[in-house]
Amino acid sequence: MWERIAEELPRFFTYYNVIFLLKAMFTTFLLSMIGCLLGSIMGGVLAILKLTKSAMLLPLRAVALVYIEFFRRIPFLVTLLLIFFVFQAIGLEMSVFAVAVVSVWVIATAFIAEIARSGLESVPAAQWEAAEVMNFNLLQTLRTIILPQAWKVILPPAFSFFVMFIKDTALASQIGVVELTYSAKVLNNKGFSAALAFGVVLLLYYMLSYPLTKIGAWMEKKLDIS
Amino acid sequence: MNYTIHFSQVVEYIPYLIGGAWISLQVAFLSFCGGMVIGLFGAMTKTFGGPITRRIVDAYVSFFTNTPQLVQIYFLYFALPEVGILMNSYQAVLLGMTLNAGGYLTEIQRAGFISVRQSELEAAETLGMNLIQKVRYVILPHILKVLFPSLSNLYILMTLGTSMAAIFGLEELTGRALNINAETFRSIEVFSLTAVLYVIVTIAASLTLLFVGRVFFRVKGKVF
Repeated sequence: MWERIAEELPRFFTYYNVIFLLKAMFTTFLLSMIGCLLGSIMGGVLAILKLTKSAMLLPLRAVALVYIEFFRRIPFLVTLLLIFFVFQAIGLEMSVFAVAVVSVWVIATAFIAEIARSGLESVPAAQWEAAEVMNFNLLQTLRTIILPQAWKVILPPAFSFFVMFIKDTALASQIGVVELTYSAKVLNNKGFSAALAFGVVLLLYYMLSYPLTKIGAWMEKKLDIS
Repeated sequence: MNYTIHFSQVVEYIPYLIGGAWISLQVAFLSFCGGMVIGLFGAMTKTFGGPITRRIVDAYVSFFTNTPQLVQIYFLYFALPEVGILMNSYQAVLLGMTLNAGGYLTEIQRAGFISVRQSELEAAETLGMNLIQKVRYVILPHILKVLFPSLSNLYILMTLGTSMAAIFGLEELTGRALNINAETFRSIEVFSLTAVLYVIVTIAASLTLLFVGRVFFRVKGKVF
């Protein structure tokens, strides 16, 4: 194996292959990034929805609950295929990248909603009650009292979810998104040894994920309120 | 939109899919058990080992938790034959998932090891216990209770993770769904049914874990 890798190495790291790999790496990052950003907006909305108490919003609360419980229990691959075929059936002309982003969005919404909910609930109930006594409505309470305290609890796990999803987006290669895993398959099909192609991609994933993990750990330490 | 949804064609495949779900659960259970063993040794080394062995375990954990499971299994399945190690898809998936779970479980169990109070370990030392006895009688009963929520959480995530075995041609739940999709072309119906089955399977797993936790480790937990 080693002789073969040593022999292929100069051919592997040509200008175009390096550009191809770096582009794929950027796609991997972008996929998870956009999906999680959109997901945190929707997830925040769902988490706040779950906190409302009025009877009028009951159906919406039920939808939020079912959505969160459902999509946290479906594998990413199945979501990806389902959304891929749904878009095909509707007849929307979308790139596979967009389909993958929507899938990440759908899954991230459910997970981040749960993270945000536990963060919002970490603020002592007495403060909620005090705000109610002061006649604050829900949005005022959230903006002036709850969020300034809760974001410290929400951000670290949400960030580590984002880092986790960078690895899970490897599955997007199955519907043809040209990200790192797909690029490894392409290079392998071009005739490079599988050990070299997949080994390099493993290293690139590591280089992408390891610094982000460290940032996450630093953030957790920095924001530790206890 | 000119796609009409027909579940009738797919319904007859439900027993076939349930058979696949059983294989998914098997893979998840076996790799979780394997991962627990690796994790136990990893955590023991990280807490009590020398500087070099600790580095090795660190490197292992850092590598397997920072790279995607899918690519790890790709590597096992496609790259190892180049050195003469041939595995079928079941073995490759099982080995990949076990190694991956081992990385995460090392980290989880190490956190549990740290949470054991120093005085308890010293008391065990005074009683003349060796390392294995310490782990068996003092540390494990303690950490199993403390770590139960994060362990069961990881177990559910691993059950979902088994879906990537389909990519290697293993006929578990997703793999069988792909087969049915190829036979009937009822894609949306097949995959939504698969999604519902995954929800049912993981809720069943959560309930089982809750029961096990209540009975054996006296942990209070909730499913939802």
